[in-house]
Amino acid sequence: MLVSTLRFISRGWVSSFYIKPRFHFTFYGFGWVKPFGEAGTYALFAVMAVAALMVTIGLLYRAAITLFFLTFSYAELMDKTTYLNHYYFVSIVAFLLILVPAGRYFSVDARLWPQSKVDYVPGWCINIFKLQLVLVYFFAGLSKLNYDWLIAAVPLRIWLPANSQLWLVGGLLTQLWVAYVFSWFGFLFDLLIGFFLLNDRYRGWAYLFVLIFHLSTGWFFKIGMFPYIMIFVTLVFFSTETHLKILKAIGRLFGAKLQNVAPDKTYQLPSAAKEIVTAVLVLHFVLQVIVPFRYLMYPGKLYWTEEGYRFSWRVMLMEKGGTAFFHVKDPQTGKRAEVINSEYLTSFQETQMSTQPDMILQYAHFLADVYRKKGLQNPVVTAESYVTLNGSGSRLFIDTTVNLAAQQETLFGHNKWIRPFKDNK
Amino acid sequence: MQSCKKSGADSGSNNNSFDRKGLLSNVSTNIILPAYTSFQTSVNTFNAAIVAFNAAPDATKLTAAQNAFIALYKQWQWTSLYDFGPASQANFRVNINTFPTDVTQINANIASGTYNPNLLANLAAKGLPALDYLLFGVGADNNAILVQYTTDSQAANRKTYLATLTTEVKTRTDAIVSAWNGSYKATFLSADGTDVGSSLGQMVNQLVYDEEILKNFEIGIPAGVQSMGTTYPTKVEAYYSKISLQLALQHLQAMQNLYLGKDGLGLDDYVAKVNAKYSDGRLLNDAIKAQFVIAQTKLQALSDPLSDNITTNNAAVVAAYTELQKLTVMLKTDMTSSLGILITFVDNDGD
Repeated sequence: MLVSTLRFISRGWVSSFYIKPRFHFTFYGFGWVKPFGEAGTYALFAVMAVAALMVTIGLLYRAAITLFFLTFSYAELMDKTTYLNHYYFVSIVAFLLILVPAGRYFSVDARLWPQSKVDYVPGWCINIFKLQLVLVYFFAGLSKLNYDWLIAAVPLRIWLPANSQLWLVGGLLTQLWVAYVFSWFGFLFDLLIGFFLLNDRYRGWAYLFVLIFHLSTGWFFKIGMFPYIMIFVTLVFFSTETHLKILKAIGRLFGAKLQNVAPDKTYQLPSAAKEIVTAVLVLHFVLQVIVPFRYLMYPGKLYWTEEGYRFSWRVMLMEKGGTAFFHVKDPQTGKRAEVINSEYLTSFQETQMSTQPDMILQYAHFLADVYRKKGLQNPVVTAESYVTLNGSGSRLFIDTTVNLAAQQETLFGHNKWIRPFKDNK
Repeated sequence: MQSCKKSGADSGSNNNSFDRKGLLSNVSTNIILPAYTSFQTSVNTFNAAIVAFNAAPDATKLTAAQNAFIALYKQWQWTSLYDFGPASQANFRVNINTFPTDVTQINANIASGTYNPNLLANLAAKGLPALDYLLFGVGADNNAILVQYTTDSQAANRKTYLATLTTEVKTRTDAIVSAWNGSYKATFLSADGTDVGSSLGQMVNQLVYDEEILKNFEIGIPAGVQSMGTTYPTKVEAYYSKISLQLALQHLQAMQNLYLGKDGLGLDDYVAKVNAKYSDGRLLNDAIKAQFVIAQTKLQALSDPLSDNITTNNAAVVAAYTELQKLTVMLKTDMTSSLGILITFVDNDGD
């Protein structure tokens, strides 16, 4: 995460994503999460980086990981535009890490406070991570169980040929049968890998597949740190012996030796904390299982309406693009103006907004505010937006007759003003 | 469980291999480089005309300069699309063609005799739009214009300013042509992927961006589309020389030319190869080609000066705008989505 945060800062993304935009698409209920101005936001990221460094070396572990979790989650909550499943994953892992004593062995803390050192932890400290990973992989696989992915091989049949210039494999990527192989392999890999990783006999082979899968997706697609995060986090499935070997190797690099100071000391949660931690973990995992299914509450095609799409491990699942034109009408004069989105949104925000209805609604409310400040009394805001999904060809996305300024933002409500996918005439 | 209905249209092709290198080679050799070279030639002709005019301003030389300017502005329409690589690094497009021009700023520069080309405030006081004003707008007719360069109190400063702006256009153009003839062409050919930094990615993004300039700034804003019907006829491109519509038509033709790859490999071939479909079942390539023609027809129904049309025949101007808007969607959404190209001007991770 230290690498990721430094990379984020060095690419100028703190500025382009959080400082430059004049408007942010905050999450429902989190409208109070705002950037702190230029200096403040950089400070937030600096704290994040320092916290990540401290966690890595194991200094003041609990404080550091809590700080990292808070700063990282805050940054992600600032704008839906930058939502990525792997950022969600990092937040979850950071949260789980707060609950475990990861700073008690092979860490600076263990050096400074040897009496806090433990050699053994209860099984749940490791198993919650295994469970989380199994859920992530499994749901990612489950989300691929649909016609588009398996039978039509979209979006891979669009994305793979776009990489035809790659060394050695480029020519293969343009073949349709390869898109099918990748689609089915991706589906089966995601669905089953968690279970193979749990099994002692197959773990080694499973991890080889993990490496191949993540390295190749990292090569073909622009998905940032995700493959590398997964490669390293998946190591949690390996046995204690393996981990000790890894730690010894790292130790040699720094000239440190692994010590078994307290062979009989096992970490124990204080009994007051036990109940709370149990409750928190139970709640967390119940949510992890339920949340990806919430899309069932809504009518319509999930990929189109995106109601229930986020936070469900739907990773790299669809090719969707759109262009949205907004009109503001003055009901008193009947005259209307088309908005130039680039005046208010960055191109990244505009791209993300044009295919996600909740963001379209938020932007419409923002525009209504802008025009109210200009003196319009009851601005009517409509969206003429065209979206293409998995090669369908662009079609109207939102009902152009609905005044979005008057529509409510809700957490679980269905947005009736999204036009059905097939109704394109 | 999940949706069991399909989303996309069937893409029948089993082999989606397309010669992107060939496309880049064709476009750079047969479209981009000739466009820059022709522009450079026009700039040189124009520069010579200005030098002659400044040496001894008279009616004949004024007309010669004006004609050279019109040819130059038309040639610009074939050059503005390629604002990536050297052009992007030099902010070529905004330095050559920020319009509408700021007459107040121009006159302030002339009166003070100082001009800093790097000032942001001067972006709207330089380039072709400023030259448009200086050659066609400083007087009600050519006689009145001539006076501004002969007997007017500011005549000397004005001539200097005219020369300075012309030289600036020439210098910037020469730099771009050199860069393309130098190492950039090779760079362009080697980045043959479809990612954000690739040549195709940049080229498509700039094509879309430029089309939106045509749609919004040359037609839409002046026609009142963004302002509740209040029109701004003076905001058209080439307001003073009154060739706005001719320029718009040239601009559209240039975009169509790029899309078709002239006579060789172009985006049309790529879109056809991947068998992309439009929402009404037609091949996307056919839909795009047809839309270029429709937009052209709507524009041809208008006449210069466009600024007058905007007032007297606003509905027809808005009709042209609507067709340009449909073209925007086809290029910005349908075409890019079918080729796996991202519309973005910034780097970011995907998911």
